[in-house]
Formats: sequence, structure tokens, C-alpha cells
Amino acid sequence: MPERSGSATIGSKLPRLDSPAKAQGQAVYVADLQPQDALAAALLRSPHPFARIVSIDIGDAKQMPGVRAIAYSGNTPAKSLDFGIKDQLLFPRDLVRYAGEPVAAIAAETEDQARAAATAVKVAYEPLAPVLSIEEALAPGAPLVHPDWQSYEKGANRVTDRNICGLNRIRRGDVTAALARADAVVESSFIFSAGAPGYLEPRAAIALREPDGGLTVWCGSQSPYGNRDDLADFFGLDPQRVRFINQFVGGGFGGKILMAAEWYAAALALQCDRPVRLVFSRHEDGLNLFPRHGGKATFRSGASKEGRLLGMEAAFFFDTGAYVGYGAGTALIATMLASAPYRIPAVDLSATLVYTNKQVAGSVRAPGGPQATFAKELHIDELALALGMDPLEFRLRNAWQDGDRSPTGQLLEGVRVKETLEEAARAIGWEARRAPGRGVGIACSWWFSACGRSEARVEVRDDGSVHVHSGNPEVGTGSAAGALPLIVADRLGIDPTAIVLTLGDTATQTYDGGVGGSASTFSAGQAVKAAAEDVRRQLLERAEEALEARRDDIELREGRAQVRGAADHGIPIGELAAQAGTPIAGRGVTEEISDPEFDASLVQSHDFASWLAPSFVTSAAEVEVDASTGRVVVHKIATAQDVGFAVNPAGVVGQIEGGAVQALGYGLCEELQFGPAGIINTGFHDYLLPTIIDAPKVEAIMVESPSGAGPFGMKGVGEPPVTTPAAAIGNAIRNAAGAVPYTVPMTPERVWRAVKDRRDSRI
Amino acid sequence: MVEPQSSLLSVLRDHLKLTGTKEGCSTGYCGACTVLVDGEPVNACLFFAVDADHRSVTTIEGLSPERGELHPLQSAFIESGGLQCGFCTPGMIMSALGLLLAHPAPDEAAVREALAGNLCRCTGYQSIVAGVLEAAPKVRGADAAPARKRARSRA
Repeated sequence: MPERSGSATIGSKLPRLDSPAKAQGQAVYVADLQPQDALAAALLRSPHPFARIVSIDIGDAKQMPGVRAIAYSGNTPAKSLDFGIKDQLLFPRDLVRYAGEPVAAIAAETEDQARAAATAVKVAYEPLAPVLSIEEALAPGAPLVHPDWQSYEKGANRVTDRNICGLNRIRRGDVTAALARADAVVESSFIFSAGAPGYLEPRAAIALREPDGGLTVWCGSQSPYGNRDDLADFFGLDPQRVRFINQFVGGGFGGKILMAAEWYAAALALQCDRPVRLVFSRHEDGLNLFPRHGGKATFRSGASKEGRLLGMEAAFFFDTGAYVGYGAGTALIATMLASAPYRIPAVDLSATLVYTNKQVAGSVRAPGGPQATFAKELHIDELALALGMDPLEFRLRNAWQDGDRSPTGQLLEGVRVKETLEEAARAIGWEARRAPGRGVGIACSWWFSACGRSEARVEVRDDGSVHVHSGNPEVGTGSAAGALPLIVADRLGIDPTAIVLTLGDTATQTYDGGVGGSASTFSAGQAVKAAAEDVRRQLLERAEEALEARRDDIELREGRAQVRGAADHGIPIGELAAQAGTPIAGRGVTEEISDPEFDASLVQSHDFASWLAPSFVTSAAEVEVDASTGRVVVHKIATAQDVGFAVNPAGVVGQIEGGAVQALGYGLCEELQFGPAGIINTGFHDYLLPTIIDAPKVEAIMVESPSGAGPFGMKGVGEPPVTTPAAAIGNAIRNAAGAVPYTVPMTPERVWRAVKDRRDSRI
Repeated sequence: MVEPQSSLLSVLRDHLKLTGTKEGCSTGYCGACTVLVDGEPVNACLFFAVDADHRSVTTIEGLSPERGELHPLQSAFIESGGLQCGFCTPGMIMSALGLLLAHPAPDEAAVREALAGNLCRCTGYQSIVAGVLEAAPKVRGADAAPARKRARSRA
């Protein structure tokens, strides 16, 4: 058990510190900031998915009423943005590569004037035949999305070949021989639709050029420090003079890691001396989206009649859109998930990343997770059914155990696959008899804890207030506003509501890698813990003198340092700061944790081949299927997740419940659609997020197996619970109706067709 | 001056600077801009400001007018974990209040029905339902004694 102290302790449920402000409508998001002298910005976007830019003429637009600045390829740096492959310019020069790609930005006195001026920018296009699918991209003689692909600078491990911009592979053993030995072999092919992050707050930014040549950007980002560095580098500014001030963020889900509105507001602000405010409409946000990758996969696996998995082949193809952006992670993670968490002696797992003329796919919450888990877990059920085995029993028989090795040779410790399977199965009532039309399904997986650099400062002031600075922004997950203050309160023996939090403001000089990879509490929590422990040590030192007592006899409790067992013999910690004549402050930084070892001979072009503090997760679902219409009602999702140690169980439960319903949307109703003129459904009326009516009962079960690497033994929490539920729903549909579509989302039409095809094939 | 085509949402946010009411889609599908007009929930983005003339408009800012004192619905959302990023929260709370004013003792199905026009991407909704059901009896109590409460706060 971790050491506990003081008034609020880690492991107790803390309502997030930002909740009163949010419940009262007082939390400020970027679009709530309305500087009086702000200019309004608008973007001109390409109407074509693929076209040559013949010319751009801003002459007329400049003369339009109220126009103060225009930014486009002609007056911004011709530098490429660097996301591993230097394939993207801020504003396109020769080619536009997706419908909706910003070509120019205009700042004017009013939004109407800016929009009017945008239509007056004359762009002559020569439309080209677009590449709109993976099949088209890989066809012989396909048009090249990047005709200059061979000249792009790129990082190590980046494979490029015409419309391919990523390829990684994990190989172990002889799969052909293994499958030849198998008593049952099944092959399954899957299609994944692209999806939206689905945050409710459209993206927005305000930028202001400062008199000293610096720039201030008010943003709602998952990664203000990373964004600052990218922006300063691009425009050739001193990063120390570029300040990003993060506001509350109305949901990110991976969609707000890379900049969008920030780029254009900044490009315009550098041309004027007034704040430039750019607020996307919902439609524009859709055009500027970083979607979850669509794609496809084929799996072929075999097992012995005793139900032992012998070999597996899996090949993924992901549609990454017009530029590589943060797409590589999806393909890397997919191969790591493809055969997990099962003991399979021979595997051959690959993932290919493909350019198309679509929006740039990104790292939506658990990139690659829902896709790979859907395919793998429906495939595993198909194999279990071919063997005549219960899918739960089949999984338990093949699940990883302590001391096993991952497909890349990583030694696995603290494996909790079996526990999560058993807990989820129990919660759903796996053995229960069900009415016709009802069914259950189960799906399991694993995930990682990412540790990024994070810095924190904790300070006790003479009025007793405790100030915490962390670069980690609060985007809704509750890491920064829940777990971090709880850690400080625990270390200092104070009431967490006494803490004043400053998050994601680069002026505090507390660098943080941002919200992504389930890293927030894991990384920022370490930094905050170290800073708080530094302050704790100083407080105890001062209390020793002030109380004339031995340090071992002093405890920090309820905002005071006091002698254990003698509550009246103590001193408020603010008083200790007053006696010091200066705030008692501590800094903390994440320690470098090296990734676990793996066998490099088993991987090709893979730079994410071993996972730190891995966690294990299982979801089980109960559904009801109306075979005559294909309508699926999900009655319950139970997710059992190995969280290492739940620093703030209230936050963990929130992540698991929310993840389940996001995954339900992924599985049943969310699908970005693309036509010849680009993305079709940018709104909430045609891109369907689950509503409160669709949401089932969710049972969140925490399995705790301390990691040894994370603060207090915790593991990353945010992403795993969105990986497994769609697969569990798919398996439940097959259990209920005898068939399931191998395409997500499993819309009523697809379910109806799958059931009908199965019936037809039996006649 | 309010333009005839101005939405209630733009008047609240841009003219009156009451930014607690959020703009999520401006097409009436997300519910983030829900406010009460004469006690009934409406999407402020689709409601002409001029139609609110001489009518009572309640926004999230009007729910806990006395500093530090939370409305029972606000307390319940905080306690139940019914908010994460917080962007849907003002609209969600106003929809819930509209329901409780019309149906002081709703069951779970009625809560879900009433909030079907309010999207939340973070919570999975379960904690929101719990929060509204938890708040219902307290909202009934608060309504029964508004005069007493006002008198007390003046004292």
C-alpha cells in the first residue's frame, strides 16, 4: 500500500477542482475570450480534393472593406512542417491535397468582412483526379498524392514508396508451418470507417504580436508547449518570447494535439498589431479535422483442436489522408495489438500507412486501438467458434501470463489479462441464459503507459495557499484538475480545494509533453509528486526547528505541521512560509524511464516495439438485435481495466464510462463519409455521436496491479477503455443474431445484411 | 441594438458577454447552448433574440446568483462526476432544470428523454443521469421555499 498522509489521500475520490467553475458556466474557453480590439479571421479553403494551384491573387481581397491582413503561401515561410516526413507546408503552394485545406487566411474588422474578403481571393485551380481510397492509392499507376515523395526529408524508420508513407512489421517464428499444423484455420477481413474525435468545442485561437517581437497565443490545446515550439520554429521566433496560454478545453480526444486555428491566427497576427481571433464553426472544424484512421485488415490464424493458438498473420492498411501528420502511431500500435494479449508462437503482423486526398488522420484517443481490437477480437471469436469452444474459455486458455514474452520479445510482468477477463465476464453474467435476440460478447487487449517529459512547481505561500504549476493542460480528462491536486494534497497533508492550479501556460516555464498516450497523470503526476515531496521535506525541516521536535514525530495534516498525537502542538504550513520570509517552493521533473528491452531482430521499421508499464483491459457487452431491421440495442457494457493504482478513482471511473460510450459510437453509428468533393458529414446532424438514449449501463471495474514505473504504481488510464467495447459489441451481435458485419460502424443496414447473408447461405 | 436576424445565443454571448452558454454547433443538434425561455428549454442558437422580447430568459449564470451558493443541480453534477471537459455542462444543466420544473419527480427514462438533445462526449452520460435524479428532490425543496430562501439571504 502506498504511504498515506494528511487530509486528502491518493486513492480517495476527489471531485475535480474545476467542477464548480464548469457547473456555473464560469470556466473560460478560448471562444469566450472577446478582446475589444480583436480582428476577426476567416479562412479560404480548397473546394477540390486534389488540384494544381495555377495562381493566387490577393489584390482584390486586400482592397475589401475592413481587411487588415492576409496570410498565404506568398508571404509565409516555405518551410515544411516536421512530423517525421517533411511533406506538409503551412499554406499549399503547388498542390492542394484535400477539400477543405486552408489556402489563405484573412483578418478583418468583422467576421462578415473577413468572410467576404476570403471569397475575393482569386485562386486558379487545375483539378486533378483525386485518390479517395486505399485501393485507388495502391493501384498500379495511381496518381501520386505527393509527386515529390522521393525528395522529402524523413526520420529513421519511416518507409515511403509512392502513396505509401509508413510500413512496419513484427515477425516471429514460421507462420506458414504453424498454420499447416493447425486443426482449424480461419481468415477474416475487416473494414474500418474513419471517425471524428467528437469534441463539442470547435477549435479556436487568439494570437497577438507583442511589442518585443514575441507572440502570445490563447489556445485550447492538448499540447501547448509542443505547439509553442512548433510555431516558434516555423516562424523563426524565440520560443521564450512565444507564450501559449491554454484555456479550458472542451474535449480533445487526440484531435487537439496538433495545431489548427493557432497556425492561422498566428500567421495573421504577425502581420498586424492587434489580436486576431479565429473561431471555427462546427462545419469548418469538420473540414479541419484530424480523424481517427479508416482502413482495412486481413487476419489468418490457426489453432490446435485443444484450443491452443499456433500462428497468426495480420495485415493492416490505414488511410492517413493528405499528409502524414501524427498518423504513424496508428500503424505502429496496430501491429503491437494485433496478436495481443495471446501466446502465439508464430506471428507475422504488418501495417501500411497510405496517403489519400482526404483530411489528415491523427491520433484520436487510442490511435489504432479500436480498429485493431475490433478486427483481432472478432477474428478470435470466429476461430473459437470454428473449434466449437466458448470464446471466454478460448481466451483464458491462450492469455498471456507473467513471464511470457510479447511478439517483439518484451518480457511481460504483472500481467492481468485473466483477471480482467474474469471480472468482465462475471459483471455481464457470461453464463446466464438469455432470451432469443439477446447475446453477450467479450473482447480483451493491452495498452501502454507513455512517459513524457514534464515539469512542475509547487509553492506554499505565507497565507497558507498552495500553488501548483504544471504544463499539463486540463482537457477534460481530470488528470490535471483531479489527480495532480490530489497527489499534492496527499504529500502536503492539505485540503485539495486549497490548491490554486495554473495549467498549460508556457510562462510558468513548466514544460510538459501534453495530453496524449494516456501520459498525463503518469508523467505530470511524477513531476508534481517530486515537487510536492521537495516542499514536504522543506516544511518538515522548518517544522523541526519551529516545534522543537524530531522530524520523525512530525506529521503534515489539515494544513498544519504537528507533532503526532498532539494536535495542539503544531503550526500552520503558511506560518512556516511566513517565518521563512519567502514561499516554500519545490520543483519536480519526470525521471527518464527507459523503455523495456525487446528483440530488434523481430521488428522492421518499428520505433514503438516495447511498452512501458503495460495495462490490460477487457470489455463485455450485452446486446439485443432485431434481425428484421438490424437495429442493435446495447444494454450493458462492463469494462475491467488494470489501472495499476487508481490515484483518483472518481476520475478513473469517468474515463472508463466515457470510453465505453465513445466506443459504442465507433462500433455502431460514427462514420465520416467522403464523396468526390471531399468530406460530407461535418455536423452533428449527419455525423452521429451517441446520445443519452443510446448510452447503456456501464460497469467500471478497476483491477489494481502496481506497475513499478508510474507514480504510486499507476498505469495510463485514458485510452484503454475505448479500445475494447466495440469489439465486445460485435461479438455480442454474433452471439445474438448468428452473424455480424466485419465493418465498423455496424449500422442497422450492415447488421441486417450480415444476418440475411448468413440465412441465405444456409438455404 | 439587436438585429432582427440575431440569435438569442449571439446576443447572450457577444452583446451581453454571458459566455456561460456555449456554442457547439449552431444548428440545434448539440444542445450546448440550451437556455430557458419562460421556463422551457430552447436551443439559443436557433431562437431569434427578438422572440425573447418581454419574456424571461434564464441562463447558467442565473442559476446560482448568490456567490458561492450552488443550485442543487450544479452540486449534484459535481458530486456525481457528471462533467469532465465542461463544455456541454451549462446546456445539460439548463435542460435538466427545464425537465424538473415541468416534472419534479422524473424516472430515469424521463431524464434520458429530456436530455436526448444534449450531447456529451466525455462522461458516457451515466453520471449525468445519476446527478439529475439525485438533484430532483432537492430542486423540489428549493422551489417550495424560494421566498424563505430569499428572506434568509437578505438577512
